[in-house]
Amino acid sequence: MDTQSSSATAKTPTGTVPNEPKPPSQQAQGENQKLSGAELKKRAKAEKAARRAQQQAAGGKDIKSPKESKQAPKDRDSKPASKESKQGPKDSEKSKPMPVRRRQSLSIASTKEPKGEVKQYAKQAFGLFGHLSGVPRNHSLVGVSKEVHPAVLALGLQYSSYVICGSTARCVSMLLAFKSVIESYTTPSGTALARNLVSHVLSPNIEFLKSCRAISISQGNAIRWLKDLIVKIDPSVSESEAKSHLLNSIDNFILQRITAADELISLNASQKIQAGDVILTYASSSIVQTTLIKAHKAGTPFRVVVVDSKPLYEGKRLAKTLAKHGLQVSYGLISSASHAIKDATKVFLGASAMLSNGRLYSRVGTAIIAMLADERNIPVIVLCESVKFTERVALDSIVGNEVAPSEELLSEAERDVLVPLKPLNRDPSSDIAADKSDARTWWMGEPLQMLNLMYDVTPSDYIKLVITENGSLPSSSVPVVHRISTNI
Amino acid sequence: MPPTTVTVAPGLSSFLKSLKNTPVDSSIEHFIALLKRRQIRNSRPCAIATTQLLLRVVAEFKFRDVDKLLRRVREVGQRLIAAQPREMVVGNIVRRVLGLIREVAEDDAEVDTNAISDIGNSPVPLQSEFPRPTLASSMSTFSPLRYGSTSMDSSLHQSESMSDQGELPHRPPLLTSHTSYSVPNAPMVTSLFGLFSHPDSPSASSTPTGYNSPNGKGTLTAQNLERLSESTSSKANIKAEVQEGIKELMDELEQSDDLIAANALDHIHSNEIILTHSASTSVQKFLLAAAKKRKFTVVHAEAHPNDHHATHAMTLTGTKRDYDDDSDAEDRWKPLTAAGITVVMIPDSHVFAIMSRVNKVILATHTVLANGGLVAAAGARVIAKAAKVHQTPVVVVSGVYKLSPVYPFDIEELIEYGDAGNVVPYEDGDFVDKVDVDNPLYDYVPADLVDLYITNLGGHAPSYLYRIVADHYRVEDINL
Repeated sequence: MDTQSSSATAKTPTGTVPNEPKPPSQQAQGENQKLSGAELKKRAKAEKAARRAQQQAAGGKDIKSPKESKQAPKDRDSKPASKESKQGPKDSEKSKPMPVRRRQSLSIASTKEPKGEVKQYAKQAFGLFGHLSGVPRNHSLVGVSKEVHPAVLALGLQYSSYVICGSTARCVSMLLAFKSVIESYTTPSGTALARNLVSHVLSPNIEFLKSCRAISISQGNAIRWLKDLIVKIDPSVSESEAKSHLLNSIDNFILQRITAADELISLNASQKIQAGDVILTYASSSIVQTTLIKAHKAGTPFRVVVVDSKPLYEGKRLAKTLAKHGLQVSYGLISSASHAIKDATKVFLGASAMLSNGRLYSRVGTAIIAMLADERNIPVIVLCESVKFTERVALDSIVGNEVAPSEELLSEAERDVLVPLKPLNRDPSSDIAADKSDARTWWMGEPLQMLNLMYDVTPSDYIKLVITENGSLPSSSVPVVHRISTNI
Repeated sequence: MPPTTVTVAPGLSSFLKSLKNTPVDSSIEHFIALLKRRQIRNSRPCAIATTQLLLRVVAEFKFRDVDKLLRRVREVGQRLIAAQPREMVVGNIVRRVLGLIREVAEDDAEVDTNAISDIGNSPVPLQSEFPRPTLASSMSTFSPLRYGSTSMDSSLHQSESMSDQGELPHRPPLLTSHTSYSVPNAPMVTSLFGLFSHPDSPSASSTPTGYNSPNGKGTLTAQNLERLSESTSSKANIKAEVQEGIKELMDELEQSDDLIAANALDHIHSNEIILTHSASTSVQKFLLAAAKKRKFTVVHAEAHPNDHHATHAMTLTGTKRDYDDDSDAEDRWKPLTAAGITVVMIPDSHVFAIMSRVNKVILATHTVLANGGLVAAAGARVIAKAAKVHQTPVVVVSGVYKLSPVYPFDIEELIEYGDAGNVVPYEDGDFVDKVDVDNPLYDYVPADLVDLYITNLGGHAPSYLYRIVADHYRVEDINL
């Protein structure tokens, strides 16, 4: 796996780490002399497995040892406590090999991490989502290529910290950043803009953005369009002309595909809201927000229910904005969705993407809302610009998804208790050694993981209507519209 | 959020401690106050507290009149239920204690008056259950019923007690405390016998009779009571028997988790992915029992914003953090991870996304209702529905004591709403001022979303639960 190959660099930073946790394990070994030969054999086996990972074993050991030392005394504790004293030792023996076996895989997976944050990624790579958690998110500017434009640098950090969040906002901000990239671009002598710009300037910028957060469908579509545009520029055209052509085209793209599209969609959608309606929406979508405000300004009396979820709490902002505009808003979390849905007469959802098999790819939890609405025969209306249409297909949310760092799931207080979290781009080797609280070792060592997906896939039969700038369609028309809009 | 009760704050353990040396009436007041302030909450603590309190009430009861005892327990029960109607276990326990008293009284009456009583009874059938007095008489005639006074089998259900008579000599004495939840097949023999001997009775193992009901026919009650007051020797036993029965009820509460867990291996297979929700000791024990033999993955939805602290504590340490444990030593379980199980914590929003890979959903419950529906922590309904959509079986794990005879005519009234500050902190004044924030604590999950119930009696289809209700509660007690 790619995880292993990346581990070559791991040696030096972890060098200090194993020294710290080892003593406890040896202590534990001393204490556990009375443990059976089988136990020792297992330990040897585990060590062999660790050695097999050569130098990286250092990292693996560090994870293993605190756990073993923790587990052994616990087993002994449980013996007197458990009612059937006979079963006690048997259990511990039985359960022993399993953690060991598990740890083999774990140690291989976790050996490679020099950085604390990477470690978290290995942890959440539990069977199902191992394929999704490959690239850790970049939160720093360290080692960034010099080709990356300052505007893009700033943008990348805004992406990774969710300051700019939402498919549309990310797409627009990216195009604007690319505008300044193009503005400050001068063609080196001996090459043509059409050949040089994409490969030498745009690509590193895009790579950097990708490293901050996986790129959304709309961004991908926009990038594809932009690259296509650049490549098609006639080499005979002067540089300044070409640049102004590009800048104008980007402005046009934003205007046509996003701003005007939003306007049209929100106009159409707001006409769907009738007096007395209760509109339920999930998380936050810019286009749903404009739609609701537009309908409110048009004088339609209706109520809004915003359902939200951790960890991003995007709906909070939406609810606040709507309330500021004078709408009657109620707010609840996803666990109360089955109650919130009772009042609703229509469900408006935003999209991150519409897949070619008619499914909706949107913030995780959207599928739950759509499912509950479908159960009660409440129409689910998706508002989506055609930039977000893609030829990709997906049957479930597992094959393709974005996995966010799992520590984001914990609230600040919980993080303090469980994970004494440092600034994310710290030098990890030093502070792991520094504070070795129990919680920290739990977080690193136990096979307990947290999963933080960004999106889920809503089955197409839950979606009654997709409103795009090309009209209101059933979800089955997505591939057709996508074909038309890309052929232009 | 009340769970922030630290050790100092009043809760179950402090209540149980105070119970021994406070007068009953002030204990009742104390418990009512705790219920009202939600300082005792969730099914198990409520059930334990109610049982202990009723034990005290019965012990302190001075009169020898069964009718008065019933009235007293009922009166206490009504006050407790009024204090916190949504903790339905309180009502369940009160009903079971009432049923217990009736049973003991009936047995006692039958011992004294033997077969005469049924002659007195049969002409006075209560409508809707006319065949049952005859059935009861059949039982009393072919059994000396001496077991009643030995209190081994002051079992809670008459249908079971019939079986007891049939096989009393064969059973090892150890098993007797389990009578109410073992031998699923044995009753068939005797009840079939009952069926043949009384061909006109349509259902042999039906709800126990109500002929000794105080609000039954006047002459009958007077008759019985008269007889009861005649035989002073047996009356002394009644109280002891009832106390014994309540203690058995306590045993049942204690053991139900283990009995449920005994089914675990039948339902959890190797390498399965199990999804569960919120923090429940029953589910925890169930999974731990399976973890002894098999390796699987647990996906744990954390039930934000009300139970997620408890859920985190559960996955970390194996116990709920705020669970004021009176029995420290026994309650210290290992977390699942220590048993080699991979536990993946997910937010509630991931449920649908991950459901396509989940093999089984195991839900904890707050209360199970007679129609097979259940009330569980908020989010359970979404999980059950998502499981239905993905054709994933939903297994609900619950002790019989959570099974309530209440029919959910009005679902809304079962749902308690909690502190909105858990959803949006009150510091966010701007937001809280303008936006209505909802925080329901519970979800009602309809019966058709559940595939299987596992209780301490074994596994049941949701459609069968009414039968277990009928076994455990007297018809007279359903409306307290």
